[in-house]
Amino acid sequence: MSSTAAQSAVPPPLIAVAGWLLPGLGYWLLGQKNRAITVGVTVLLTFIGGVYIAGIRVMDVPGYDSLGRRVLLATPGGPQWALVARPVAEVLNKPWFIGQIMAGPISIIGSYASLEAASPRPDNPRQEGVAASHGRLAEIGTLYTAVAGMLNLLAIIDSSYRAGRREQP
Amino acid sequence: MSDLLPLLQSRIPFVHPAPLWNVWYWLLLPLCAAISIVYKSVKCRHMRQVPREAAIIFFWILAGMAAAAAALAILVRLLER
Repeated sequence: MSSTAAQSAVPPPLIAVAGWLLPGLGYWLLGQKNRAITVGVTVLLTFIGGVYIAGIRVMDVPGYDSLGRRVLLATPGGPQWALVARPVAEVLNKPWFIGQIMAGPISIIGSYASLEAASPRPDNPRQEGVAASHGRLAEIGTLYTAVAGMLNLLAIIDSSYRAGRREQP
Repeated sequence: MSDLLPLLQSRIPFVHPAPLWNVWYWLLLPLCAAISIVYKSVKCRHMRQVPREAAIIFFWILAGMAAAAAALAILVRLLER
């Protein structure tokens, strides 16, 4: 019964945010530690596995080109960042990023690292610092990272639902 | 292979792609395992049920993939005739 009382103390939105910040943390806050560790470790390993398979450039960040520079669009008010000028179209150009971002802050760290890696070297400003992977490995790496995020979304929804239902684990 | 050697030696893990070009189809297994484990962790009421349930669905996913691959291979053969 005390477990039920402890669960009801954590509001579902907080559980959802916690689950995004660290995969599995939502379950942990509900007192379901085994479930939290299983889900968290699996999601993180899947995401890291995707980066290992395809390299860090598997994170293809909307609003940036292959050289890691902001894409600017000509607008009546002057050049504007594409992610600000037309955010929906820009994100839909790279829909796999929606899945990747659901894996939590690790995807933001990965995106930053990807943009850093893409930056051209001083000796060749027209070429990517680290080339993006292509072919099957790029597809599989993208699939791993996006699936990791979607699995975490599943866990976020489930843990929030459990928090709202206020039942025993 | 001699052409690939300098590339492999200069490869930094997690920055460059892993040298898995020839074994890419085996990468299906860890992904299926991850999906099975997380899905059953969400679905099962008690965590002690998860290993068995995840193993069952893992093999069902693989069987489904194999069946889909076989069906598509047959379709391709028929279309190529």
